[in-house]
Amino acid sequence: MNEAEDGFGFAPDHDEPIPYRQRIRDYYQTLGYGAPYRWAHYAEVPFAPVTRPLAESRVALITTAAPYQPDKGDQGPGAAYNAAPKFYTVYSGDSAADHDLRIAHIAYDRAHTTAEDSNTWFPLPALRRTAEARRIGEVAPRFHGAPTNRSHRTTLDVDCPELLRRIREDRADAVILVAV
Amino acid sequence: MGCAKDIVEYVGVPRFLFSDFPLGNPAGRPHDRESQDATLELALLLLETAPAPRTTLQSPLRWSDDPDWKLDYSNIARLSPEEIARRRAEFDRQKEIAKRIRDKPEAAE
Repeated sequence: MNEAEDGFGFAPDHDEPIPYRQRIRDYYQTLGYGAPYRWAHYAEVPFAPVTRPLAESRVALITTAAPYQPDKGDQGPGAAYNAAPKFYTVYSGDSAADHDLRIAHIAYDRAHTTAEDSNTWFPLPALRRTAEARRIGEVAPRFHGAPTNRSHRTTLDVDCPELLRRIREDRADAVILVAV
Repeated sequence: MGCAKDIVEYVGVPRFLFSDFPLGNPAGRPHDRESQDATLELALLLLETAPAPRTTLQSPLRWSDDPDWKLDYSNIARLSPEEIARRRAEFDRQKEIAKRIRDKPEAAE
């Protein structure tokens, strides 16, 4: 008899955030791939306090989603993993326009979600609503796409500096990175 | 904003709004504007109020009353040998596609 059955009201043991690193390590090891993936890992993390009220701030958005490319195979909703629409350089788009961004190139949870509604991974329309409601000052003029490159060196030496350059060019006060 | 708590915290970020949702839903529930707006509002609140780096805020939203969805993702214990073999072949195929795009971006245009 477990604790929940004892009437303490405890949640089941597995009702906790999924241990992705362990799952993914075991998964690829069993599939037969030797050296496990090494995630980026920092002991020291930078922090910049917000210095002006959000209602006066320009907020930018960074996404790992990819622009839909009709000639690159099935990109969903519900598509199997598809590496073809992956991108390897930073891209940017007009924040005032609507965009069709997909996540078929990412290992999202295909068993329990279908990627039908891009608002669950690309909250640009929601961010525009916060500007309309004057919760934030304004949306930065461009949003930016961050490549999901498996080379740490390229991410750190090429993509991150380029993202920072564009964010500064847009004079954004804060950035929300939405990672899929 | 993200759904992979252990990975994001392992990397280390200034502020993290965690949604305990299946990967693919860092900005709220599908077809549910209320949950999407509430999720973004929490991100903004975190931006304003986090006192130090590595501040994680967990969204109170629940994906489902039944937590069993958490048992499935990349769970090798739940796959048959045939399924493991199929996935390996598919993974190799996709890796080859990704490599071709990375090495020759123009070939993918």
